Amino acid sequence: MNDPLATRDLLAEADASLLDLVDNILTKGVVIDGEIILGLAGVDLIYLRLGVILCAADRLMKRFE
Amino acid sequence: MTRLYVYAIVDRAPAASLGSGLAGEPLTLVAAGDVVAVVGEMQDPRGPTPDALRGHDAVVRRLAGLSDAILPARFGTVQDAPALAEWLAGAGEGLGEALRLVAGREQMTLHVFHDAALGPEATEESLDARGLGPGARYLAERRRHWRHKERLPELEPLRPRLDALVAAERVELRATPPLRASVYHLIERGRSAEYRDAVEANLDLVAGVRLRVSGPWAPYAFAPVA
Repeated sequence: MNDPLATRDLLAEADASLLDLVDNILTKGVVIDGEIILGLAGVDLIYLRLGVILCAADRLMKRFE
Repeated sequence: MTRLYVYAIVDRAPAASLGSGLAGEPLTLVAAGDVVAVVGEMQDPRGPTPDALRGHDAVVRRLAGLSDAILPARFGTVQDAPALAEWLAGAGEGLGEALRLVAGREQMTLHVFHDAALGPEATEESLDARGLGPGARYLAERRRHWRHKERLPELEPLRPRLDALVAAERVELRATPPLRASVYHLIERGRSAEYRDAVEANLDLVAGVRLRVSGPWAPYAFAPVA
């Protein structure tokens, strides 16, 4: 089941630490033969946006150095 | 039927109190063979909000402090007790092997970003793909992806500097530029500062990419997909 609302929540809080939370907790870990209460179609989108944010922040930091 | 939210698999029942879970529910154990699942009764599991993700990880981290070997469960896994016990019994061998690998260890992550000035589109192979049709461009991109999947050559100069710390490695290529790949390293617990120092002291060895170190984490990336 996709959860676009939850995806928007995650994107709204996009930061570097969230990248790791999404990466580890939503896409890793033991997959048990049970009911999974979510399936986020937006995980790649989160990676894309976080990647852009991190690189943009990096360029800004260099500008002010 | 009671619904159990699964937090982690451990090698033995922790001696200390398990505490509570995401919804404040008391944590309990479901054992089968040589493995034990740490669960909490939860009729209405929470969706993947940032707070819920942080809460799940906080529980896993606390359990990691109580267990020498832990395999975190993926967020949002719900099962009833008999079916969970049956699954644990069936997956016991693979879980036991994974638990032996992660025993006394934790995970560090290296996120590898393309340097914006270079960019994946500027690679020689991608430039060769210009002028091709959509189908041929797709195949060229897939070929590039699989060719690099085997080695992630950007990191080769760094690997010898991390060898003494790294017990196991998983590499995951990303199709979301500028994020190029995530590399997961299993290291001995308590050595994350040494790992960070080793990466930061050798950043000049890796050209054209930017690295971000994250961790320590429970060994999420080393849990088997059973």
